[in-house]
Amino acid sequence: MLRMSRAGLADRWTLFVGALLSVALGVALVQSSLLLLITAATFDPPPGLSAAERMEFSDGTTAAVSMLGVVLGGAVFLAGFIISSTFAFTVDQRRRDLALLRLVGGSRGQVRRLLLGEALLLGVAGAGLGVPAGLEVMKLQAWLMRRFEFVPDGFTGQWRMWILGVSLGTGLLLAISGVLVAARRAARVRPLEALRETGAAARVMTAGRWIAGLLFFGGALALVIVAPHGGPAGGQAMALNVAMPASVAVVAFAPLLVPLFARLMPFGGGVLGSLARANLRDARRRSASVAAPLIVLVALVVGNTGAGSSFTTSGIDEVARSTHADFVVEGRGPIADVPGVATVSTELSLPGEVTTGQGEDRETEAVSALVVDPAAYSAIHGTPVRLSGRAVAAGPGGDVPKSGTVRLRLPEGDLGDLPVVASVPATMSGGANLLLPPGLVPEAQLAGAQARSFVALKPGADPAAVRAALARSGPVSSLDDWLRADADARNSTNEKIMLIVLGLGGLYALLGVVNSAVIGAATRRREFAEARVTGLTRGQVVRVALLETFAVTGAALLLGVVAASAALIAALATTSAVTGAATLDLSWPLIAGVAAVALTVTGLTSLITSWSATRRPPVTLLAAQE
Amino acid sequence: MTTLTMTGVSRVFGRGPAAVHAVDDVTLTFPRGGWTAVMGPSGSGKSTLLHCAAGLERVDTGRVLLGDTDITAAGDADLTALRRSRIGFVFQNFNLIGALSAEQNVALPLRLAGRRPSRRVVRATLDAVGLADRARHRPRELSGGQQQRVAIARAMVTRPEVLFADEPTGALDSTAARTVLDLMRAMADAGQSIVMVTHDPGAAARADAVVFLRDGRVVDRVAGADARQVADRLASWER
Repeated sequence: MLRMSRAGLADRWTLFVGALLSVALGVALVQSSLLLLITAATFDPPPGLSAAERMEFSDGTTAAVSMLGVVLGGAVFLAGFIISSTFAFTVDQRRRDLALLRLVGGSRGQVRRLLLGEALLLGVAGAGLGVPAGLEVMKLQAWLMRRFEFVPDGFTGQWRMWILGVSLGTGLLLAISGVLVAARRAARVRPLEALRETGAAARVMTAGRWIAGLLFFGGALALVIVAPHGGPAGGQAMALNVAMPASVAVVAFAPLLVPLFARLMPFGGGVLGSLARANLRDARRRSASVAAPLIVLVALVVGNTGAGSSFTTSGIDEVARSTHADFVVEGRGPIADVPGVATVSTELSLPGEVTTGQGEDRETEAVSALVVDPAAYSAIHGTPVRLSGRAVAAGPGGDVPKSGTVRLRLPEGDLGDLPVVASVPATMSGGANLLLPPGLVPEAQLAGAQARSFVALKPGADPAAVRAALARSGPVSSLDDWLRADADARNSTNEKIMLIVLGLGGLYALLGVVNSAVIGAATRRREFAEARVTGLTRGQVVRVALLETFAVTGAALLLGVVAASAALIAALATTSAVTGAATLDLSWPLIAGVAAVALTVTGLTSLITSWSATRRPPVTLLAAQE
Repeated sequence: MTTLTMTGVSRVFGRGPAAVHAVDDVTLTFPRGGWTAVMGPSGSGKSTLLHCAAGLERVDTGRVLLGDTDITAAGDADLTALRRSRIGFVFQNFNLIGALSAEQNVALPLRLAGRRPSRRVVRATLDAVGLADRARHRPRELSGGQQQRVAIARAMVTRPEVLFADEPTGALDSTAARTVLDLMRAMADAGQSIVMVTHDPGAAARADAVVFLRDGRVVDRVAGADARQVADRLASWER
């Protein structure tokens, strides 16, 4: 069987190059994300840092680790999806070969073993290519993370010897699990199908598709429903995880949906248009398979960037709505004494570590603590806080229990157990995890704290004069300027995160798109030849194929947006629940860009594949049947 | 002695008013060591009859016996075993596996059956169809006639009780067709049972007997007719 697998691989290499590439890059992406994650999690602060810097460092690595966790999860999802759909497609395209095998005495088990054998070879070869490719991917990912300052300068992914085993295992696992369902399906191919000219119009919606579709639809729906109740952090996390199950659900129903949506595309009139339309109606599974990776790509990119920027915008709006000040001073000083100043909330930010729980449940977490004047803070941020003595409040950044006691350790001293007596609502924009009253932290420890003062003016005060006076305490900006700068910073951070999380994954999914387009065209030589002996010119055949490709791509784009909209609904519901204002911020240039790239890539692929598939004169193709 | 017996076999496609009786209550016996041709106009149910006889198509009513074995209700595993050892197929489109050489194609049924085919047996089988020198060629490097002879070698390598041939000369030019028919004649003379579906009176005339089918029913059976007689008979049924 293994020899047959090898012969099969060698002969149908166009079908398998794509499968091999998808395994190799899948392994590379998973390996790189995993190594970076391990590196970040075990990254020790460089020697010579102060206690405060060490705490900030560990807060930074925690963020990097969770981001890399998302990257790893995305890589595993994409690899699993792209590989299994590529394999399923290649198997589907070889139904006739497999039926032939059954005809000359192959048993169902042998068909299954043949396909598993192929998957085994592809898994091993894919891992073999994937390991060195993964090292390059890791360099790129680490460079991006350094450049965007999610990790310090010295950060580079570290090689671990055991990753060889993990990557080989990943390749095998991905390849074999990817082919299992397809192999089961293929084993049911009836020998008689070898005798039919075209594969029997097998049922397009199998029971497995219905079950998977409904299951993932249910998962996506549950996330959409629960997200608004998850608070800012939980809600965001859930909303950003909706696009995956939603896209899998749409893909499961693709044989029904793709032809339906493709029919809406403008084919143009004439014989070529109607031929393209007829081809699409006839080849529903092929259309669905070609569309699948694109649906996932669009859903992830549009859904997650849309949800991400909606959350960011919602946070920005929230800060703008809730900050009642005229000036922001990056510093502190005798601001309250400046004539014309009504209220000043000077906030001192310190890194710290909070320990909660007892015994087994003890947990220590890096936090940011903010020393505030409760009355001024309440007035400026529009939320009541009452603090005194050793009592502290849970801040807008969440993550800290809203009652009970917490143990707070600051860079230069342990403050011991502190009662949490109040809380401000957790906000979309985040912020400090813990609010501390003045006097709790010794003045000496506050020397290194980052200070920011929000200043509200008395009615009738001269802003210019006040501003000049404030400048003695630190750089001053008007609230509008400060909000704009804050918004820019938040947007830029969001974009960087999206680029790291989705960038390479998106490229990988794009490879899946090219792959499926190539596989879809690879087995159409005969069909093209038949069209040409019927009287179509080579150019017309290529144009029909291009029309079909555009219709399928258009349908996939629409369906991707349908899946993405589930994530956007979750974002709308969550922002509404957290800030009171449902927010949706879509980047239309990005959406247009994705559509343009998709149409260009699939169009070019179709042109190249159909042009090369029609290179030989049709008569020789029709005469030489394999 | 019969090698294949069909009793009251029917096969209906579709339901209700759209139902097509592809094979309608056919009772036929095929003698051991004889070559029987099945003829009939297009749509007369020739291919369906062959598929039912070979266990590729389920029958709705009736029974099919291969030798003493009732294959009417045989499961997939039994039918697979049957294809490996007791039945051989040859088709109009050759249906060789493009990835494998002629030799490997011929050896395939034996390997699928878990046997280790000796090179000698495979070469001898190829030699019997006159292609010993083409053993290492891929199907696409062979002419249509050569491909069909490889397909015959593949079918014969298991020494099947019955060789089923569906339009074996349908895609060949007359010279290649004659070579293939000569080969089949020699096999039949050596005792091989063959059931062949064909359109071509010339091909049918090479068989020992010709069964005529129309609308799924057997309408005639002649033995020892020449091509002219077969053609006349066929024409009379097509009127």
